[in-house]
Amino acid sequence: MTDPDEPQANRLESMALALIFAAISLLLLALIGVATRTGQASGGWWTRPAFAPGIALALLVAANLVTLWRDAADLRAHPATAEEWADARAKVLGWLRPAEFLAYYAAYIWAIQHLGYFPATLVFVLGLLWRVGLRAARWIWAGIGLSLFMIAVFRAGLGVWMPAPGLYDLFPDGIRLALMRWF
Amino acid sequence: MDFLFLGLQQLADPALFLTMCIGAILGVIVGAIPGAGAAVTISILLPSTFAMDPLTGMTLLLGVYCGSAYGSAIPAIMINTPGSPVAVLTALEARPFVDRGEARRALSLAYSSSFVGGVLAVLALMLLTRPLAEVAKNFGSAEFAMLAFAALVLVVIGHGGRRVEATAALAFGLFLATVGIETAYSTQRYSFGQSWLIQGIPLVPMVIGLFAMSEALIQLTGRDTTRQSVQLKGHFFQGFLEVFRYKVTLFGSSVFGIICGIMPGVGEFLAQQVNYVWARKLSKEGHLFGKGAPEGIIVSEATNNAVPPAALIPMLALGIPGEELTAMMLAVFLVHNVIPGPDLFLNRPEFVAGLYWTLLAMNLVIILFLLVATNTIARAALINKRFLGVAILTLSLIGTYASNYNFSDVGLAMAFAVLGYILRSHRWPLTPILLGVVMGPILESRFRQAMGGAGGDLSIFVTRPISAVILAGLALLLFFTIRGAIKARRPREDWQINDT
Repeated sequence: MTDPDEPQANRLESMALALIFAAISLLLLALIGVATRTGQASGGWWTRPAFAPGIALALLVAANLVTLWRDAADLRAHPATAEEWADARAKVLGWLRPAEFLAYYAAYIWAIQHLGYFPATLVFVLGLLWRVGLRAARWIWAGIGLSLFMIAVFRAGLGVWMPAPGLYDLFPDGIRLALMRWF
Repeated sequence: MDFLFLGLQQLADPALFLTMCIGAILGVIVGAIPGAGAAVTISILLPSTFAMDPLTGMTLLLGVYCGSAYGSAIPAIMINTPGSPVAVLTALEARPFVDRGEARRALSLAYSSSFVGGVLAVLALMLLTRPLAEVAKNFGSAEFAMLAFAALVLVVIGHGGRRVEATAALAFGLFLATVGIETAYSTQRYSFGQSWLIQGIPLVPMVIGLFAMSEALIQLTGRDTTRQSVQLKGHFFQGFLEVFRYKVTLFGSSVFGIICGIMPGVGEFLAQQVNYVWARKLSKEGHLFGKGAPEGIIVSEATNNAVPPAALIPMLALGIPGEELTAMMLAVFLVHNVIPGPDLFLNRPEFVAGLYWTLLAMNLVIILFLLVATNTIARAALINKRFLGVAILTLSLIGTYASNYNFSDVGLAMAFAVLGYILRSHRWPLTPILLGVVMGPILESRFRQAMGGAGGDLSIFVTRPISAVILAGLALLLFFTIRGAIKARRPREDWQINDT
């Protein structure tokens, strides 16, 4: 569910989004000749590999252009104020907000392969809780609890396989095997 | 009769019964947590169900689906925060109850109407699926292609006020479905020589990215607000009997929910909104709607809970999923090579019968759980949004990775998470993307078969009676939709002229 507190998009921001979507969809449609086999099909036109993506992309381009035209018409009828421009700039920059969290996520994926699932999950959960301002002792315990829950359900319970990380090689064989099996 | 006993035999399996209880209880809890919900949970659980047998996997997911429909009433009533869009009307109607100190009465009304709606919908599923499947035995490719096409059109029409955005989302989903190997000539489409795209866009990372990770990002980057739960007074059974004072509203809403559930693309939200408007017009106490009317809660909850089981009717009988959650569940069918459609009753009777009984028993388990655990669940609904975001993100990784044991899938999920985040913040619908991905291949293959059989003559879609009826129905629906849209614009234009 979308956050009800989420601020409404501004018109310029919506138009920027529509412009990006329209450009991408037009580019994809323009590439149809190289991205699919268009001709020399032995069957009818309905069997051509380009047929289905062609229809989908034509529809996508049309819908995006209608959105763009609608936004542009609205802006022409009611030009944007200086405040709206400033707000739009801030909001477009706001699109990058999840990038920080996804960077942590990418680091988490890397860490799983090098540190192991449990240590990487523990560091990721506690680090993320600290980053979002949940720093009290009860949140640390909640983070540890969540990491142990993940281990109990997915590694021990459902037996989800994870690659053996380099860190576990530092342990004696018996412990290493146990770590690989459970953590 | 043997068919029904076969289902009871399935339900007697302790593992299946336990899975049903876990799914139902989990569904109630996540339904009660604003920001969690069925779509997030089902997308994360989806890969885990691939390792289970199809009935157990489906039972787990259906438990979450049905349980969340009940659970969403708890935060709507007890903390006046709708946990999902379908709980908005319940929150609106319940507020005056809470102000009068009658929160428990509002909950009782919600639970009992949910129960009646849910059980009637399961009975409809039991009674209507097989006859529909029998009718579908006469369907050819033209009919199935037309049904798939109708489902896509209905998805767009169902997004009133956002139809252009829904069309774009649907077209994007249809395009994504074409990426990878195509069957007729074994050539690649839009894979640009990338080996990881040859098999197409994998469904699980896409679903987890779009529905779960994007929600986590919204929770992590949004504000957290302090909420408080009300103290419950009175006893639940008071409202349980009270619903039967509004029999017409109760049964009418349930039947309306069932009809909307059967129609692909409509979903709970639209069904509930339309039914609420009608019920307000038709009720003797219509003036009380929005001011704490028991009928308002009954309409909202009975309709909402009748949709999930009814949405299974077209999926089981025709192989056409009605909305996003049944579209996700279709993946469980496909992984296990269980082909939904007319032959399902012949090939897997134990699966269908087992599904019927587990759904019926599920409603009972949920209502019993709610009677003893409502106060505890209400506390879970107060969970910190940022902690929830961290939990969803952590669960998403294991969910994505476990589907294919491939970390590149996690990267793909991240890309879809960004897309989902941007689309959600602009109120663009995500459901049409998923339905486009699921329905696209069905539509393309059936269209090709129909056209091949007819020697390339498009008139096959109007000369075959059932196909022609569906097409005529669609044309009528489009006509009324366009006329409604034009009528809706007129007063605004008048207002703009007067205003200037």
